[in-house]
Amino acid sequence: MARPPCFSLPYFLLLFSVVSLLLSRHHVLADSHFEGFEADDDEELDSLSTESLPLRSPSPLTRSEPVPDPVPDPVPSYPAPESQTADADHPKQPSSTSFEYWDEDEFEGLPIEPPSPETTTPRSADSEDTKPSDRSSDPKASPVRKKAGTSPRSSSYVVEIACGSFLIMFVINYFTGKRENENIALAWAAKFAAKDSIFDKNFSLLGVGDGDDSPLLLKEGQNVFKFYASGRRYCQGLLATMELKSRHDLISRLYNMVVPCKDEINFEVYMNDDAMDHVVFAVAKKKAAKVMHKEVRDLQRFASVLSPPNGRKWVAEELAVISESKEVAGDLISEAALDQVLGEKAFEKHGKGFISMHFSDQHLGTHKKMLLFKFALPNVNNMTDMTRLVALIPYYIDQIGRYKLSAQARSKTDTARTKAAQEAYKELQNARQDALQRKKAEKKRLMEEAEARLSAEAIRKKEAKERSRQMKKGMPRVKMTRAH
Amino acid sequence: MSSHGNLSAANDPRQPSAAKPYVPPAVAPQDLPVDYSGFIAVIFGLFGVMFRYKLSSWLAIIFCAQSIANMRNYENDLKQVSMAMMFAIMGLVSNYFGYARPGRKS
Repeated sequence: MARPPCFSLPYFLLLFSVVSLLLSRHHVLADSHFEGFEADDDEELDSLSTESLPLRSPSPLTRSEPVPDPVPDPVPSYPAPESQTADADHPKQPSSTSFEYWDEDEFEGLPIEPPSPETTTPRSADSEDTKPSDRSSDPKASPVRKKAGTSPRSSSYVVEIACGSFLIMFVINYFTGKRENENIALAWAAKFAAKDSIFDKNFSLLGVGDGDDSPLLLKEGQNVFKFYASGRRYCQGLLATMELKSRHDLISRLYNMVVPCKDEINFEVYMNDDAMDHVVFAVAKKKAAKVMHKEVRDLQRFASVLSPPNGRKWVAEELAVISESKEVAGDLISEAALDQVLGEKAFEKHGKGFISMHFSDQHLGTHKKMLLFKFALPNVNNMTDMTRLVALIPYYIDQIGRYKLSAQARSKTDTARTKAAQEAYKELQNARQDALQRKKAEKKRLMEEAEARLSAEAIRKKEAKERSRQMKKGMPRVKMTRAH
Repeated sequence: MSSHGNLSAANDPRQPSAAKPYVPPAVAPQDLPVDYSGFIAVIFGLFGVMFRYKLSSWLAIIFCAQSIANMRNYENDLKQVSMAMMFAIMGLVSNYFGYARPGRKS
């Protein structure tokens, strides 16, 4: 499965934690939602709680006319409202601010009543003002409400402004990032795939279209570019895939500031069937080599990590070699390769972009015989740094194309491969048998279903037929011949 | 490198007769890389609509934008992205132009 680099599961987990944070924050709000407040923001929650305060204090006072005595009693104590509920005149006797919510739950639907006398009193401030305490409470109520009303309005635009500006930045970054990636890809193509470049000298067909003017690069996504070349001895073709950083995506760009990422180019060379002998070989940096040995199937199965041999020049210290046979490794790591890229001195200067190299004739996938090279792309302006790395490719195509194993090496590799081939064959057989069995079971099931659907009469008929058939079978066979 | 310098006609590594045109490999829809940002956009959009949470709807729009930016296979991904966009826009509309809730505007 091809994944864009640096955009993987940890990123997904990070976002899930954000989601869970939002959820947990929402839990608080959801509770208030169920209580009937329907508050969206904390400010509104506060506003409602402050709103309820003015509701509580004047109501016992406004209702003091019919029930003067019990009104002051419920204020301090909790059991008092219970005794007052027996009155049933004004069941709503909120005692103190600490029992607001209890009262709300207890007396649903009633909250509508107190606001109406409360809202009418400020509007008709002069008319019907019986108590001076009303007037004193109104100025208290209205400024409190006004404050509660304005605060969410001014702060409510923060979310919109923040998200809107992020979206604008996202769009701007999309176009700039897209152009940056295109420039990198074009710079690479101009250096290595244009006229008189290394690929032009090695392959007769460049690009993905027909004719001379075919486009060299195929753009598969804003950060994935492909280059195809074909028409060379020993190989059927070469496919280079450039996977660049997601510069067009602002979120990925921010993520890559935390988790570093590289621009990579991946070369796949499809070797001809007769051009490659039994070679399973890989070179990579030490840690990466261990990971490759564990994860890549053919390396895991056939090859092992080699220790540097004594008495001959070997690859640089940071690199490790994985190979099926030491002889093959020794032959492939030739003097020329060491001098150019893989040796100690050369690797320091030119090997910065080298990530890994993997030759296999048992590669998993559509094509079995493949050479895989992975390099890091340099800066737009430093494309020439990669020249020696790219030069490794035609060199190794020829090396592998011409290479023949010695007799002993071949015998060793043969046994391993025949075993692998047998296992593959067995698996294929098993798979085929499973498919056949499944088909048979399906057929049986269908037939049974069809039988079950038949009506009762038809069943009886069938049974009669079956019985007669059985009887015929049981009866002795009487041979009959013609009379004459 | 030896072959790199060989430009004489006899050693020209090119074989025009062996050239095969490029055939893009067919990828089954199940094997396509998972569109995480589209999935997250759908989730945020759902939250925004169900719980009337503005920030969630806005985040859904942002992740939709990311999903569109990263879209590679126009036919397959467009369906999920359009679904996510619908949820997000629905969330935003219901948040801003929905019915005035009691107790909110006094």
